[in-house]
Amino acid sequence: MNLLLQGLALGVLTGGLYALLASGLSLYFGVMRVVMVAHPAFLFLAAYLTYTVHTTLGVDPFLALPLTVPLFFALGVAVQRLLIARLAPENLAMMSVLLTFGIALTIEGLLGTFYTGSYKSVSMEYATRSLTIGGVHLPYDKIIAFGVAALTLAVLFAVLVKSRFGQALRATIQHREAARLVGIQTERVAGYGFGVGLATAAVGGTVLALITPFFPASHWVWIGKLMAIIVVGGLGSVVGAALAAILLGTVEGLVLVAVDATWATMMFYVFLFLTLLARPQGFFGGRLAHRF
Amino acid sequence: MSSLRTEGLTKSFGGVLAVNGAAVELLDGKINGLIGPNGSGKTTFFNIVTGMIRPDSGRVLYRDREITRHSPHRIAHAGIGRTFQLCRVFPRLTVLENMLVAVRRTRLRELLAGLRDTGEVERARHWLRRMGIEHLEEAEARDLSYGQQKLLELAAVLMAEPDLVLLDEPAGGVNPALIDRIVSLVRDLNAEGRTFLVVEHNMDMVMGMCDHVIVFDRGAPIAQGPPAVIREDPRVLEAYLGV
Amino acid sequence: MRTVSRGLPLLVAALAIAYPWLAPNYYLVYAGALTVMYAAMSTSWNLLGGFTGYVSLGHSAFFGLGAYGTGLLVARLDLPWVLALAVSALLVTLFAVGVGIAAVRVRGASFVIVSLALVSMMNLIVQGWRSLTGGSTGLQVPSPFPDLHRGQTHMVFFYLFLALLGVALLAWWYISRSRFGAGLRAIREDEDKAESLGVPTGAYKVAAFALSALFVALAGGLYALWFGSLDPIFVFSILIASYMVLMSLLGGVRHLFGPLLGALIVAPAGEYFLIALGETQIHLTATGLVLVLVVLFMPDGILAKFTRKRAGPSIPDESADQRLQGVAP
Repeated sequence: MNLLLQGLALGVLTGGLYALLASGLSLYFGVMRVVMVAHPAFLFLAAYLTYTVHTTLGVDPFLALPLTVPLFFALGVAVQRLLIARLAPENLAMMSVLLTFGIALTIEGLLGTFYTGSYKSVSMEYATRSLTIGGVHLPYDKIIAFGVAALTLAVLFAVLVKSRFGQALRATIQHREAARLVGIQTERVAGYGFGVGLATAAVGGTVLALITPFFPASHWVWIGKLMAIIVVGGLGSVVGAALAAILLGTVEGLVLVAVDATWATMMFYVFLFLTLLARPQGFFGGRLAHRF
Repeated sequence: MSSLRTEGLTKSFGGVLAVNGAAVELLDGKINGLIGPNGSGKTTFFNIVTGMIRPDSGRVLYRDREITRHSPHRIAHAGIGRTFQLCRVFPRLTVLENMLVAVRRTRLRELLAGLRDTGEVERARHWLRRMGIEHLEEAEARDLSYGQQKLLELAAVLMAEPDLVLLDEPAGGVNPALIDRIVSLVRDLNAEGRTFLVVEHNMDMVMGMCDHVIVFDRGAPIAQGPPAVIREDPRVLEAYLGV
Repeated sequence: MRTVSRGLPLLVAALAIAYPWLAPNYYLVYAGALTVMYAAMSTSWNLLGGFTGYVSLGHSAFFGLGAYGTGLLVARLDLPWVLALAVSALLVTLFAVGVGIAAVRVRGASFVIVSLALVSMMNLIVQGWRSLTGGSTGLQVPSPFPDLHRGQTHMVFFYLFLALLGVALLAWWYISRSRFGAGLRAIREDEDKAESLGVPTGAYKVAAFALSALFVALAGGLYALWFGSLDPIFVFSILIASYMVLMSLLGGVRHLFGPLLGALIVAPAGEYFLIALGETQIHLTATGLVLVLVVLFMPDGILAKFTRKRAGPSIPDESADQRLQGVAP
């Protein structure tokens, strides 16, 4: 029983991180109808950059954020304006997958070349200890991950809901033409939206570096997991992705302690295929799904 | 024999009741018309009947056989063909290739048959001639003018040899000369034994062409009868003018 | 122009058949066999991608399954290799039917995601169940031609892959000229419209999916027999999956010889990079960059530039009407 509680607790904590990672993905899809297969690759690029900052400068990995977040924001805008925007609208969904797939391969190759294929990780003394509540051990690194993720998501929601940019972004998501008609510069907004998405990847990558070892091909597993999350949550729904993330994170945590790691990861794919069979448009919202 | 019939068809989207207990009966062998103000549920009704949307409740019957919730291709095999409001053809296929897509029956032998099966090609050319676009056989469908595409769309539907043809706003975006041509075609095709249901906004076309008119308002038919009667019906006038 | 277009495929076929004898060393025969293998796989992939427009990024799942299926049947059950190849391919195709039924319920980019999830899942399974797949040393598959030395084995498998390519091309050609093919193309153009015309789109898509898996599985099985040693990381790799997509896209997905042309360009280049740059991962970057460039600048592929269809005459409405009414235009 204690073991199950443990699994549950870990799962919820990890689910929060998944929520952050998946929300970026939902954002791209909502803004540009682009399935950004390269998002996890950028996550690990951020992780590697964090690693480099940590090993060369010897500082706390979170101090890499002031560097990586603006960098990734700029990268996101660049990718959208220079590459995605060039795609013909008729085949956008498919071509964007292929394009971002190519970008993911490019990043993986560069990471493998510069960092070699061995596992890297970042560990901080404070992060390796655990908090113990009622017999359940909560590792500090996972708590920090959850905290950072929750904070970033909160900021993201605040920006989306309260700021003018957020309003413009949501308008562009809902109806591009109408947004243009009221004077919103949708091209620029789309670019910034992409930038925001990649900025969340910068944060997520730093956190990931702290909690798990990684190697250049790690991103493929995350594509599967994140895609499963946004399919279960409903394509285009940021809230749906967050809810599905907590759900699947929890399931993973439970299965991890009850069975083994392989089955734990397998659960994502099981949920993916079941969702496709039963309710392809997802469970927690996402009215854009049927157009996909 | 009865043609298309619906009983208590209901469909909501979120909180909006689009179709509300619609009971409609088409007259077999006639040209039926379906009119109604915007938002009256005509299009939703149309999409339910053609299998594109599932109703929340109710039944659709064709020749006394239930076709509710059948997929669009099964409905096509039952003998029902349809055109689309925004004319849809296969843009990068040639006109002739467009004609050869329709499938009447799924028999393996037919499916593996060569595209150059002369019987089918001759039938296709016959229809293209009737529509007056046989000279465009090798052109890609996207290179045709909108009016030509509309004719192509109708011809392709007829290749499947439907007994009931549903036309979704055939006069939309088309010049008056072509409208006349379409009316004339529909009359000829009807005389050859096909039943029609035409959804339209163009009153002159509907009143002039249809034998039986159904008027929709707020998700259900409010009047069904010959054009002359419908034109005088106070409920119809209120629905159109009162909005 | 006609004689050139008729003669060219025959010339290429003759060259292909003569190639192992023309090649100056066995390494080049090996490279040739690898190229032909990729050509067969890409053509097979294109049975789905080219006709229906459904892009699968996970077809290496079938390659790996075909390889492991054949390998296990030969190594563990001592089946004769031809039988093992056939049984494995059949089982993989049946599996593809099952997967396909679920996968084709979604369209466009969702389908791509599902295909990625499939191959990721396969990777997960083979790495998790090492006891079945031969542990960290991989599965060892006895060669069907133990009396031949390596060079001669390369030659034999060159011809086996060439035969597979021939069958795949034949299947593609036959489908493109059939009603089935017309239906598949209609699905690519406008799936809902095709369904309203009576095309059983679900069944068609599953059939195309399964067929495209069949030849890829056969290629995997032949690969297992040829190399004799299977490493799960390679056979289920995303790189192989992306090669299939890249080659087809580069050559032209709507053309019979598109994937073959793409393979002739990409496979030797890949081999060259592998030798010149060693075992680094930079070839991933190269593949990725080429894919990005192809998607941005020539998504229709090379062959599309040579076979532009004559744009049909677009006669304005008025004269069409005049025609209809029997009036001379």
